[in-house]
Amino acid sequence: MKMFNRELVKGSTSLVVLQLLNERDMYGYELSKEFGRRSEQLLQVKEGTLYPALHKLEKQAYIECYWQEQEKGPARKYYKITEAGREMLTEKTSEWQKFVSVMNKVLRENKT
Amino acid sequence: MTYHKVKEQYLEQLRDELNKHSEKEEILLDYDQHISELVNECDVNIETEQEWMFYITHRLGTPKGVARIWQEELSVSQNKTLLYFLFVNLLFFFFGGLLTLLHFTLGLQWFTELWRYLTSIPTLLMFLYMFFWGLLGYEIGKGFGANGEKLMKKTFTVAIIPNLMLLILVLFKIIPYDWFEPLLTRSFIWLCITSTVLLYPISYLGFRWGKKKSV
Repeated sequence: MKMFNRELVKGSTSLVVLQLLNERDMYGYELSKEFGRRSEQLLQVKEGTLYPALHKLEKQAYIECYWQEQEKGPARKYYKITEAGREMLTEKTSEWQKFVSVMNKVLRENKT
Repeated sequence: MTYHKVKEQYLEQLRDELNKHSEKEEILLDYDQHISELVNECDVNIETEQEWMFYITHRLGTPKGVARIWQEELSVSQNKTLLYFLFVNLLFFFFGGLLTLLHFTLGLQWFTELWRYLTSIPTLLMFLYMFFWGLLGYEIGKGFGANGEKLMKKTFTVAIIPNLMLLILVLFKIIPYDWFEPLLTRSFIWLCITSTVLLYPISYLGFRWGKKKSV
């Protein structure tokens, strides 16, 4: 299957991260795995670019991080969404849905 | 345990590329853990060091590429943003002051002409200057999102000092009045005061707009 435009994926990474963290707290590797799984590997970003994106969201106070000890292995850094992050997610999801709906309408009319 | 050596190589390269970032060790720890998780869950048959390096860089990106994205991310800090806008605002005052001084001391014709031209378009200059304050709020909102409001207030409070000082110097006639005489009409002074009062709402609106674009 064809991959999406890299810039398009890059621009939507933060929104996907906020959505995933809105469902549950996750650590970096888990986020990247979930990212791939949910998009059926179609929204692939280099996993190394995920951490600068997380750093930015943390700097913007949309997410927070905390360390959690594991039964086996070293402690993991978990990320959680903040109230400001939830507000931004709601706003951006609605904006995205409106955009998709308008584009669908325009493209459908073009086909007929 | 070939992958341990490759992980160390990858992290070492990343360490070199990240130079002197204050958060370098924290960043490396994230990648260290990520690679370990990646290796633990790897279901591909990999044997040689080259194969491991190919697999890790294929998943994460090259150390150089990763470091470049970090450089971009870490180049935007609260202190740098505050200093940048403070500096740009001071530049306006510096060049304005320099132009005024040179116009009155040197009396060169092209200075006089430039001075006359600029003093004939005060409203346009004021709008452009207000745009700068809107941009200040926008950039802070876009870069720092929900966390930027405090920074915006702080930057505004510090950057407005030269404006207030000039306003006081003019109002109390501490600066020679005749220097700015063509401009200093009663209506223009009121316009200046009103504009100064409007600077904060303009910056705040810019901030709100920038915040919308932060994700």
